[in-house]
Order: sequence, then C-alpha cells, then structure tokens
Amino acid sequence: MSVKYGILTLLYQKKHHGYELKLELDSLFGIKGKINPGQIYTTLDRLIRDQLVSSAGMDDQERKLYELTPKGKDELEKWLLEPVPYTTTKEDFFFKWSCARKINFAQEKKMLEQQKAVVIKEVMELTKLKTELLLQGDESKYLLITGILLHLEADLNWINQVENRIH
Amino acid sequence: MIKVSNLTKEFLQGQERTRVLKGVDLNIKKGEFVAIMGPSGSGKSTLLQLMGGLDVPTAGDIQIDGKYLNKMSEKERTIFRRQKLGFVFQNYQLLPTLTVEENIAFPLHADGKLTKEKNRVIQELIQAVGLEGLHRKRANLLSGGQQQRVAIARALVNSPTVLLADEPTGNLDRANAEEILRLLTVFHRENRQTIVMVTHDIFAAGFADRIILFRDGGIDQVVSREEGDYAKYLANFMA
Repeated sequence: MSVKYGILTLLYQKKHHGYELKLELDSLFGIKGKINPGQIYTTLDRLIRDQLVSSAGMDDQERKLYELTPKGKDELEKWLLEPVPYTTTKEDFFFKWSCARKINFAQEKKMLEQQKAVVIKEVMELTKLKTELLLQGDESKYLLITGILLHLEADLNWINQVENRIH
Repeated sequence: MIKVSNLTKEFLQGQERTRVLKGVDLNIKKGEFVAIMGPSGSGKSTLLQLMGGLDVPTAGDIQIDGKYLNKMSEKERTIFRRQKLGFVFQNYQLLPTLTVEENIAFPLHADGKLTKEKNRVIQELIQAVGLEGLHRKRANLLSGGQQQRVAIARALVNSPTVLLADEPTGNLDRANAEEILRLLTVFHRENRQTIVMVTHDIFAAGFADRIILFRDGGIDQVVSREEGDYAKYLANFMA
C-alpha cells in the first residue's frame, strides 16, 4: 500500500492537517493504528519537496494544513489511470512451485494440498465478511472482496488443474 | 448428528464393478453447514444420495439422529425422509404446472390436509424467500433463481433437521447463486439446521463452516473455517 498516493487522494478532496490525514489513511487502508504518524510526516516532507503538496496555513486550532498542488493533482490522476499488476502472496507460491518443479521435488503434491487449504480458508473468511458487508450496505468493500474472491477462485482452479495432471 | 462409517457404494457397469465410494468415514455435527467439493466422478453426489436415503450403500452405515438409514425398510426410509430431511436439487425439480404455493405445500399433502397453521408457514416462507406477490404463478413461468427459491421454501416447509443440497447453484448465474446462498445462510443462522451441500463452486462452498474435498471415492482433505484478520486481505489487495 502506498502512503504517498493515500495522502494525495485525501488532499485531492480537501485540505487536511497531519493528524486528520492519519485517521483518514487508517480508514482508507482498512487497518487501524498500523500507519506510523512519523511515516506520514516524512512522506509529507517528501511530497512538499517534490512540489506535489504545499502548506496551506493553519486551522483555527493552530494546526498546520496541507493542500494538493496542480502538479500533485496530475500525479494522482496519472497513477489512478495506470493498470496495476496483480501481486499477492500467490506470486511467491508460483515461484516456489517453479523451483519445486526444477528439482523434481518429491512433495509437490503436499505443497499443492497445503496451498489449496490456505486458499480455501481465505475464501471462507472472505465469504463471511462479504455477507456481513452486504448486510451493512457497504457496497464498495463488498465489491472489493468479490474481486479478491475471483482471484482466489482462479488460484484454486489452477491448483486443481496441476493436481489433476499429477494424479 | 450425521455419522457415516466405512461407507461403500459399488455400481455394476456391464461385467465390471465400479467402486464409487471407498469406505468413507465422516461425522457432521448438529447445526453444522458442510460443503462437499470435488471433481466429477469423485463420489460426492453419491454420498449425498446415500445420506438422503435415495439410494442404499453396498456396505457401511449412515446414521442420522441416531437412526440407521441403511437398516430401514424402503417404507420407513420414505417416512424418515419426509419428516427429517429437506432436499434442494440443481434442476429445482418443481412440478411445472403447479403454482408457487402449491409446490411449496406439496410435501405436506402426504401427512393429510393443509391446516391453517401449515398455510401460515407457507405464506411466511414465500415472504422469506422474496417471492411475495407470486403465490399463484405457475412454476414453469418463473426464472431459474425464482424456481430455486421455491425449491428452498419447499425443502424447509416440513422444518427438516437436515437440509441436503446437490449443486443448488449449478444452474444459476453468479448474482442469483449468491442470493440463494444468502437465503440458505439466513435460514441456517435462524434455525440451525444441519446443511450438507455438494458443489463444484468455491463461491458457494465459501459459505460453509467446513469444506470436505473428495477425490477418487474418498475424502482427500478437510478445511475448517478460522476467524481471520479481514483487514489484512483488504490491505494486501490494495498493496
């Protein structure tokens, strides 16, 4: 996840002070308290240096506000329009599996079974979460989870295909 | 609740005996939602048919609620099935010329005429599966998703202790499949029925508490639900 583009996204909407950015980033990334405030300030310094963000005075409580520059806006829009290559832990598994094939690893079947169990567990957890999100009416997160599930389904189909060829 | 021991089923194909189930052992707890997955011909549907008393095993036992299905007479099995089990099939198996409410009421006729109470249950089920206003519509005029909702209501009308579903979403598109599974999940949460569902679709199986993977007539792997760190998935996905 990118703190840089998270900040640019938040400032695209309105000016924020540092602590507001931290709270909004936690919510944007869906993980509470995981982003180090220090990381936010160093990223802000870098964004200011690169002229993507600038200082916008103080708010009524004397907190420093930040805003997006036109260059920052362009940068964010460019990033948003760039397709993202799909990378998760499964890429590591593809690599590991390729290594196993390279050495004719005797326990390939076990590797596949274990990986399959991991994928299925993730599907079960995410299906439960998806149902809850739907009941809560959180359409965006529901669709995101559906996206992850489609990837997991593809992974599982691939593992099944490899297994069917071994058996 | 459901106890399957050393369950074996052979079919005679010409001169050749094919062993479809090879001594399966399986316990399913009361109120558990179990999905059985596996490639075609792995024996998963045969297992469901034996659990539903629709066929008899070559060897081994099936107990439901302490009763041995394989030791019952044909007639006893039929009565047991009607009182304790509900079925949902891939191709819905509705009576096409009967209306929605007539199809749902169908299993009740065997036990005599429809009482006021039973009629109330039917109306409640029609509402619960989201088919209000379609009471009098003939089954053959409904969409696939609607037909499967009728089939679920029919399966539940007798308040069965076990619901057996064979590829319940196999003929449906993803949106309709999801709706059917959402309904099953809601009923499962409310009534704590034991559900055994055979499916080849991981999207459907994901709703279960436990997924049993079949291969070559036996259990290959069992995967149980664990409470996960959901936020982790979202974070990884957006990495």
